[in-house]
Amino acid sequence: MDRWIIDNLWLVPTYALFGGLLALLWSPAFIRRTGPRPAGYFNILSTGLAFLHSAIALPLIWNRPEATISFNWLDAAGLNVDLDLKASVVNVGTMALISGITFLAQLFAVGYMEMDWGWARFYSLLGLFEGGMSLLVLCDSAFFTYIVLEILTLGTYLLVGLWFSQPLVVTGARDAFLTKRVGDLVLLMGVVALLPIAGTWNFTDLAEWAKTAELDPTVATLLGLALVAGPIGKCAQIPLHLWLDEAMEGPLPASILRNAVVVPIGAWVLVKFQPVIALSPVAVTVEWVVGLVTALLCSAIAIAQIDIKRVLSYATSAYMGLVFVAISFGQLNLALLLCFTYSVAMVLLTMSAGCVISNCVTQDVTQLGGLWPKRPAAGPGFLVGMLGLVAVPPLGCFWALAALGGALLEANQPLIFAALLLINAMNGFSLMRTFGLVFFGSESPMTQRAPEVLWPMSFPTLVMTGLVLHTPLLLIQWQILPSLGMTEAIALATSSLIGLGAAAALYLNPQVAKPIHSIPAPIRDFFAYDLYTAQLYRNTIVLVVGAVSGVLFWIDRFIVDGFVNAVGALTVVGGQGLRYNTTGQVQFYALSILLGVVLFGALVAWPILAPAVP
Amino acid sequence: MLSALILIPAIGAALVGLWPGQPNAALLKKVSLAIASAIALWTLYLFAQVDVNAIGAQMTEYLPWVPQLGLSYSLGVDGLSLPLVGLTALLAWIAICSSDRDLQRPRLYYAMILLAIAGINGAFLAQNLLLFIMFYELELIPFYLLIAIWGSEQKRGYAATKFLIYTAISGILVLAGFLALTWLSGSSSFDIGQIDITKLSDNAQLICLLLLVVGFGIKIPLVPLHTWLPDAYVESSPATTVLLGGVLAKLGTYGLLRYGLGLLPDAWGTIAPGLALVGVVSVMYGALTAIAQKDIKRMVAYSSIGHMGYIIVAAAALNPLSLLGSVAQMVSHGLILAILFYLVGVIEKKVGTRDLDKLNGLMSPIRGLPLTSGLLVLAGMASAGIPGMVGFVAEYMVFQGSFTTYPVISLLCILASGLTAVYFVILLNRTCFGRLDSATAYYPAVRFDEHLPGLILTGLILWLGIQPSWLVKWIEPTTDAMIAAIPTVNQSVAIAPTKPALKAPAID
Repeated sequence: MDRWIIDNLWLVPTYALFGGLLALLWSPAFIRRTGPRPAGYFNILSTGLAFLHSAIALPLIWNRPEATISFNWLDAAGLNVDLDLKASVVNVGTMALISGITFLAQLFAVGYMEMDWGWARFYSLLGLFEGGMSLLVLCDSAFFTYIVLEILTLGTYLLVGLWFSQPLVVTGARDAFLTKRVGDLVLLMGVVALLPIAGTWNFTDLAEWAKTAELDPTVATLLGLALVAGPIGKCAQIPLHLWLDEAMEGPLPASILRNAVVVPIGAWVLVKFQPVIALSPVAVTVEWVVGLVTALLCSAIAIAQIDIKRVLSYATSAYMGLVFVAISFGQLNLALLLCFTYSVAMVLLTMSAGCVISNCVTQDVTQLGGLWPKRPAAGPGFLVGMLGLVAVPPLGCFWALAALGGALLEANQPLIFAALLLINAMNGFSLMRTFGLVFFGSESPMTQRAPEVLWPMSFPTLVMTGLVLHTPLLLIQWQILPSLGMTEAIALATSSLIGLGAAAALYLNPQVAKPIHSIPAPIRDFFAYDLYTAQLYRNTIVLVVGAVSGVLFWIDRFIVDGFVNAVGALTVVGGQGLRYNTTGQVQFYALSILLGVVLFGALVAWPILAPAVP
Repeated sequence: MLSALILIPAIGAALVGLWPGQPNAALLKKVSLAIASAIALWTLYLFAQVDVNAIGAQMTEYLPWVPQLGLSYSLGVDGLSLPLVGLTALLAWIAICSSDRDLQRPRLYYAMILLAIAGINGAFLAQNLLLFIMFYELELIPFYLLIAIWGSEQKRGYAATKFLIYTAISGILVLAGFLALTWLSGSSSFDIGQIDITKLSDNAQLICLLLLVVGFGIKIPLVPLHTWLPDAYVESSPATTVLLGGVLAKLGTYGLLRYGLGLLPDAWGTIAPGLALVGVVSVMYGALTAIAQKDIKRMVAYSSIGHMGYIIVAAAALNPLSLLGSVAQMVSHGLILAILFYLVGVIEKKVGTRDLDKLNGLMSPIRGLPLTSGLLVLAGMASAGIPGMVGFVAEYMVFQGSFTTYPVISLLCILASGLTAVYFVILLNRTCFGRLDSATAYYPAVRFDEHLPGLILTGLILWLGIQPSWLVKWIEPTTDAMIAAIPTVNQSVAIAPTKPALKAPAID
């Protein structure tokens, strides 16, 4: 039995995919009689099965060597593409995490989407996401990594566009698809170029190859940049960060998954590619600069948001920026640890936010307030999630962030370390501000009559609260608790204290005057409107593509086709004109015959006449 | 065996065309559908009988017809033509299935469609240059009538005439190329196997090839010879467009590979860089002009120009993988373009408009067209090259194959596939997403038989995308042999990934 479980780990992604496929049957085009809810129930079952399978397998493979299995996908014309799967402890653990979180998110959706009619589409897409991500962590091939990422891009488009009647949703879906697709295509360029250079797509072999590879610096740089581009899009890093903000227009249960696992999966991919990226110092520099700039700016943007979901989406971008920094300094295990601790805390935060939004009509934090007594699950949930996300000892992210700080100090990068402290403080400030505005203060018209949410929403929130509180114990149990130096531990804890404390002093008490007007309006707007990125896109790339296509179409219609039509018109006009030759007058015909004969005669006699002409 | 693929539709055309009395359109549709099913079954039987690994023409049939002219009735099938014959059979069935049940002059209509099928099949199977030309010109007349009589009200006459003139010129140029090729090389017959180009000087080869490239380039079409395409595709009825875009355009690429690359490989190697450039220009041009369209059918028509460009880029890259990708792209483009035009036809029929500014919210589950919209999303994404569907498999092979020969051009092709995503997102966002206008949304329901073609094509697109071996196994031996037959191509450029042996599962 044990053997069967390990040998058939590749089945885990198929459970969810099958569940997703099954859910489609309850779309309005097919089964209407039962209503759409069975779609959700079947999906929860299949996801539960996936979770059980991977969770049971995890202890079984604990101290065993990695198992690999390979399926041939395409073998043609010298190209051999295999789907390589690798079952290591990390992979299977991540798979269990993904299916566990999806399970809770799906349960949450039963409550949150209570009255929705899009269950079939929604759950089939959640199934697609879970299956895709499980396959991605299990697979050991760059090519299939790209394939899964690209399919998930399509999934994002459809999932964000679930409520497609709303204009903001439509633009959000469009931007999510196109931005991620830009990243994916550059990644595809990298993947296509990688094969002739490295000769393999297998990550394990690639890491071996990278150890001894001697690559032309230009090629290495281009390759490295291409491989970084995909994760930049996936992880919503500047300049491809706008989509995550707009994607928050989609349903919240999908945001739970997106914030907590779909976006970090990009970092997973980056970890896999890091040995190849590390061949180019330029690409590594780009990696950490992008990560650091994103982390700094996005934590600042988060403070300026009034939409509770957008606060969380910018926190997501910021944390992924930190993961980028960790990866670029070669701290791959640390990056994965940070992803894990971040992920569980973010699930809890998003779920708590969902519990707030669900019965309050609005998600504008300035219109909320006084919810602490009314949300006995969500209030403490948000608090625990916040403490778990910001470096507060002894919860999860403290260990990962402090270890990152230690690594930065060790690499002699005190400036980046200082930036890390600032980012951590800003994140603490932004989350505590949200917490204060939502749960404390006086009741607003929006929160006065907000009843507690349904149990399918509060139960997962409670489970996650427990999990976040137990994260340090889990790390000890798995023996991955990093050892910390005093400096970074104290510095980070202090920065959290400053950030959280400042926001607590300002926002927990409604009587305190907010210092918001001490910041000049242009700076506030700059962050509140997300660095004006939407306008930037509109005035650059969108403008250029639109103009070029417009001009090209004009050329097509009026020059290329115009030429053809002109030839046609000339023929017709020529025919119409020559028709007047047919006058019916014999003299005219005789004249034209004579002219013709003379011309013909001259032509025939030309060889004789030619010498005579001077 | 192969003759049946020409005879069944030809006899069927006669049967339908001379049907006595005043038959109603629905009856003739059933009869034609039965004939199309017979063609499809016979094609399936052909697939079962063909030896996948054999090289060269199989199931050959030979009848000396006019030996004095070198014209013979010589048929054969190989990995280049077999997938296209299969595509023709499928799309013929779908075109007939998607024809209106109550159209005007049904006898002529179905006879013309069947005659066109006979011509296309004949052209794919012909092993004699003159025979090819006969079939190549034969399908012109039915298509001209199909556009001119059953096309849209506005500009069908203009579109049909433009199509006729362009393709007639294409036929003349190809004929000139064939005559030059055969007469200058001193061959006694137009049979493919009889032509010996060793007597041709390099320049003569080049001139012959250029004639063929321009001739077939009109049919494909390549930019700037393409302006017949948007008009012809847009003005035709959906069934005609499925055939026009799905298989007729493939005659151009097929001819280019069979007669250009197959007969004149040296000259092909000379002009290959230029061809790749023309291909990538078509790719970019098609994608960019599609973005500017307001009519969804015209948008899909321009997208077709772009996707045909990939075939040319891959054929110019001249290695086994790219050539395989090139043929696979013909099939994939045929399937995807057919479903796109089919679904656009359904939308036009039910909603009454193709204008992006008027369409909205069709995904709405009760009063919209949810299943059609769902299929349109999949089809659009398949065209944009999302993995899991056949479009990606073919395009990927094109990219990977061309990369070693023309890195920059293949990266531009990848860029263009991003532009493809741009216009399909525009199309889907305006058509399927958005708020349905409840004042006007009283659309007739889409019947099951109207869903069927879309479902069949979607199934195939997904299946071949997940299991590409089912597509490439028919093609690969032939394309490999075609590349191997080229003496001057430097074989070392072809990538040969050296994959280290995988470690065996190490579980005890």
